[in-house]
Amino acid sequence: MRRPSDQVGILSKIFPETKDIPSDVTAPNFVPNIEALTATNPDLVIQWGGRGNDIVAPITNAGLNAMLILYGTEQLTRDYMTMTSKAIGKPERIKELVEWRDRVQKDIEAKAKAIPQDKKPTTLYIARALTEIATTGTKGSYNAWYMELVGGRNASAELNGTVTINKEQIAQWDPEIIFLNAFEARLNVDWVYNDPILSLTKAARNKRVYKMPLGGYRWDPPNQESPLAWMWTANVTQPDVFKYDLRAEMKTAYKTLYNYDITDADIDGILWMKEQSGSANYAQFKAK
Amino acid sequence: MAALTEDEAAPMVRSHLARQALVFAALLALFAVAFVVSLCVGRFSVPASRALELIWLGVTDPWRELTTIEERIVLLVRAPRVVLAALAGAGLALSGAALQGVFRNPLVSPDILGISQGAAFGGALGIMLGIWGFPLIAMVFISGMAAVILVGLIARVNGRSETITVILSGLVVSSMFSAVVSLLQFVADPNTSLPAIVYWLMGSFATATWERTLIAAPGLIIGGVLLWMLRFRLNILSLDEAEAQSLGARTNRERWLVFGLIAVIVGSQVAVSGIIGWIGIVIPHASRLLVGHDHRALLPASVVLGAGFMVIIDTLARTATAAEIPLGVITALVGAPIFAMLLRNHYRERNGS
Repeated sequence: MRRPSDQVGILSKIFPETKDIPSDVTAPNFVPNIEALTATNPDLVIQWGGRGNDIVAPITNAGLNAMLILYGTEQLTRDYMTMTSKAIGKPERIKELVEWRDRVQKDIEAKAKAIPQDKKPTTLYIARALTEIATTGTKGSYNAWYMELVGGRNASAELNGTVTINKEQIAQWDPEIIFLNAFEARLNVDWVYNDPILSLTKAARNKRVYKMPLGGYRWDPPNQESPLAWMWTANVTQPDVFKYDLRAEMKTAYKTLYNYDITDADIDGILWMKEQSGSANYAQFKAK
Repeated sequence: MAALTEDEAAPMVRSHLARQALVFAALLALFAVAFVVSLCVGRFSVPASRALELIWLGVTDPWRELTTIEERIVLLVRAPRVVLAALAGAGLALSGAALQGVFRNPLVSPDILGISQGAAFGGALGIMLGIWGFPLIAMVFISGMAAVILVGLIARVNGRSETITVILSGLVVSSMFSAVVSLLQFVADPNTSLPAIVYWLMGSFATATWERTLIAAPGLIIGGVLLWMLRFRLNILSLDEAEAQSLGARTNRERWLVFGLIAVIVGSQVAVSGIIGWIGIVIPHASRLLVGHDHRALLPASVVLGAGFMVIIDTLARTATAAEIPLGVITALVGAPIFAMLLRNHYRERNGS
């Protein structure tokens, strides 16, 4: 995949060789430059499925092995992770990863069931902020899915897909919690606190604004660390219901996923402890 | 006309003036209504009476500290946006009217000199390099000007430039810059700069603040006032080349003066709100039908109508759905049919008379 977040995330510390993975063999429209791709001599090419045959045919025509993945829901995530483990010849690794996802999901579901509707805060995920403001509706959105999983209500449920909105609309929704994306490196919670409009939302007044962590990948979209993302979201959305020991969970998960002993400093960086330790319910993540 | 004596001509002039006055009164009323209504509506519900009260307070006591969300919505979100939309619409319409006069061609719009695409290049490059705020706006403005200068250099052959060469050079420079913009999009980071570039190219006032409005305002206002001062010149330039020169116009120099002013106006507009099509072509045509070809009336009519139209379009863009609708979509959807209708009426009348 292009320009992986390991350029800025912890993955480049765990696996320094990922920095050398060429990321310039496809265009933004996912059309591969087939000769450049072949020149990297890949054993397997993973391409988007469901986006037409035009971006796949060149790969198979060149005699390369292609695996197509579909994206967007938790089930699809488990499917493509399973496919990948088979494709790379390590099918024995996937069982515990899928079981972990399943276990955490069921645990959250069970605890969230008891939360009455009027105790569910409205949550808004800001997918883009710096040039235009974009957010997502509920249907087909993974972000909305886990926000509701942990006992939140998607403030922007009326939207369809990821679309541009304005601050006035955010003021109208008046969300109780705002999650900022981890994609925009320059974005942090001050964007909300320093804004004349957004600083008056319930989320800002109660200091419930959080930037999504950036671990082995950004925690906003589905990825190998999703259960950690759900636990983090659960702890800040329903602090009375969920009390996961996130640091301990991260240590276990990073050992399992990457065979890496994550340090407290690593975790501080991933969770943006320096930037948002002043946010409500965030002291729970401090190193003990 | 030569056959008319002064006595016969006077009532005609009077009725013409009365009609002009009526048209201007109607246009100004339309603009004023659009402006006020736009401040009163939005996704955040503020009762109209409260909004009007806040506007009054904002006008009478502009330095008051704003604490409530209603005040901030009306005076910090809507007001700068509506003012910027009005200024941009006025500037684009004015530029279109002036250019159509200079080129004696009704199909010319401010895009033709490569300004918009040049400015788009500056913006795309700025976004890619991670430049924000005032430096980005300056970069957009400079690259828009650079495009016009480039057009001038290409079109100038043996010390003078023909109209047709200018149009074709504009086309060449436009295509060149739009190719470079595509190239930038191709290499832009799909997570951050690419969506930003795409969105900005579609044109929007969604990010308007007083700061941005004040950055764009000087260029738009000064460029506009100077163009207005050239209204007599524009009347002469819109004549045929030989005729204009016989009236003492230094056509080449004056044309470039007009182009320079238009670059200032359009560059300022694109810098803060991206590329907005159709206004520069539809509004001057509609104005011409209302007040005739005389630039002394055409320019102010275009300004008022352009400002009102842009405000209405932008109000639709931000209120119709929870999502912001790209301006280009609405201006084309509304502008194209109006333009088609105007064209048909225009030629029907012409053939009829």
